[in-house]
Amino acid sequence: MQKQYNPLLWNAIFAVILLGLGYGIYAASKSIDYTWRWERIPQYLISTDPTEIRSPFDGTVVVEQGGKRVLVDPDSGDEPFVVEKFDLLLADDGDIVFEGDAVAGIEEWRLGPIGWGLLTTLKLSVVSLVFAMVIGLFTGLARISDNPALRNLAITYIELIRGTPLLVQIFIFYFFIGTVLDLDRFTAGVAALAVFTGAYIAEIVRSGIQSIPPGQMEAARSLGMNYVQAMTNVILPQAFKRTLPPMAGQFINLIKDSSLVSVIAITDLTKAGREVVSSTFAPFEVWFTVALLYLVLTGALSWAVQRLEKRLAASD
Amino acid sequence: MTEHFDPSIIVARDVDKIYPNGCHALKRVSLEINRGEVVVIIGPSGSGKSTFLRTLNQLETISDGDIRIDGISLTDKRTDINKVREEVGMVFQSFNLFPHKTALQNVMLAPMKVLKKSREQAEKKGRELLYKVGLSERMHSYPSQLSGGQQQRVAIARALAMMPKIMLFDEPTSALDPEMVGEVLDVMKSLASDGMTMVVVTHEMGFAREVADRVVFMEEGELVFEERPERFFESTSNERLQRFLGQVL
Ligand SMILES: Nc1ncnc2c1ncn2[C@@H]1O[C@H](COP(=O)(O)OP(=O)(O)O)[C@@H](O)[C@H]1O
Ligand SMILES: [Mg+2]
Repeated sequence: MQKQYNPLLWNAIFAVILLGLGYGIYAASKSIDYTWRWERIPQYLISTDPTEIRSPFDGTVVVEQGGKRVLVDPDSGDEPFVVEKFDLLLADDGDIVFEGDAVAGIEEWRLGPIGWGLLTTLKLSVVSLVFAMVIGLFTGLARISDNPALRNLAITYIELIRGTPLLVQIFIFYFFIGTVLDLDRFTAGVAALAVFTGAYIAEIVRSGIQSIPPGQMEAARSLGMNYVQAMTNVILPQAFKRTLPPMAGQFINLIKDSSLVSVIAITDLTKAGREVVSSTFAPFEVWFTVALLYLVLTGALSWAVQRLEKRLAASD
Repeated sequence: MTEHFDPSIIVARDVDKIYPNGCHALKRVSLEINRGEVVVIIGPSGSGKSTFLRTLNQLETISDGDIRIDGISLTDKRTDINKVREEVGMVFQSFNLFPHKTALQNVMLAPMKVLKKSREQAEKKGRELLYKVGLSERMHSYPSQLSGGQQQRVAIARALAMMPKIMLFDEPTSALDPEMVGEVLDVMKSLASDGMTMVVVTHEMGFAREVADRVVFMEEGELVFEERPERFFESTSNERLQRFLGQVL
């Protein structure tokens, strides 16, 4: 007999444990006299501060049309600097302003540093993912090729990448390859992540293809399909379905690994977090927020892959 | 291509097959098959029946000898093997249907990708063929939703969709529950009466007796004996065949 668990009771116990952990964190912060300042966090995600419009030179402010138009008359007597679209006036008629002083402001929402970091991490992950899949697919195919040159190249690449730490690879890409090929940081970061993840995807692709019974390839070839037609129409679609779960795990790793490129000064989510911490003195809030944002990215990805798996399960 | 009419469509001469592991699976096998002929190959397990069948569409390359399909030599380096395979359909013991495609999609795939038929043409032909094998109702089912007998009939329709000149069957009923053997054999019989050239490896002696023009006995990689079916089963001249028939009949 299997033991019957009362779902209500055990789910309640689960909730109590979670609450206990939350209280533990709170109590721990109390014991070190930590003052939580959650209210400071949102502005670093999305900033509502007005964008300031600054005078390009020294001059005198003239407000016209009852405050609908503002201009700065330069001391030099050149053409005035005219501002017509703005939400708030930051200088009065007749004020003397110097170059760089704010004369008006536009109210708009902008991404704060953490918002930008999130966007950078997303861009970094998506671009690397696309390249990693291409690299992984072709390396995986080369890995099972009958051609010894292709096969050995694939094995060498996979072993080199899997045998060295990603952090070291990022440095090599940035300082060596990046310098030789004159890559900017973002490109070097994407290249390192794509080459790293590609090696793992290659192994997933290889095992996926090898898990398809050989009779499938034989049936396809016996119908007159060539190797490429058989691969693209028969083998890869089946392998794709089987490799979705490990593939999803690899994609999630990619998102998390992308935090390492902050060492080459790409302002991704992690680096943005570090910068904000140094200006807010709210390290706990910032790092919890950063962790939560990573969770949102990886969670969304898991969810999307699960939906895809359900859709593809139609033929099972 | 021959200018005048050549009655033989398959000519195998002194075919040797040695697998990379050293297994000598075919030893100087020679067989000539005419257009429209139905040849049944029998023999104990491991005697090289599957290997021989698979050399006929080059799923296995041969080590020595020559095979000609409709006048085209398979050992000639200039031969486009994919073109030959278009003309030679094959049905496997384990069906090998494409599990991610419905019955109709299984039948339509190769005509669209290989013969570059339009979707409409391929679908029309696919529906016709599935009707012919009695599966009009199950057209949109996936292989996993079909019985073994139904799957094997889809596999036959899939091979026929390429309009082959020759059909090879490797123990097409061996993986089936007994009650489903008949439905597959019926499809094969009607194919034979349509004049299809067929090479069939099977243990169904009734089918051999009824449908075959010739029965071939293989043992240990050798083609031991061939005869018309009515004489084949009564034959007492060959001791090895006697021993085998004594075991299976
Ligand atoms: N891929 C292979 N590699 C090595 N040996 C094989 C392979 N396929 C078959 N053989 C060997 O070749 C012989 C003939 O096998 P097969 O043609 O499958 O016989 P049958 O179909 O008559 O049972 C057997 O001894 C078998 O072990
Ligand atoms: Mg066999």
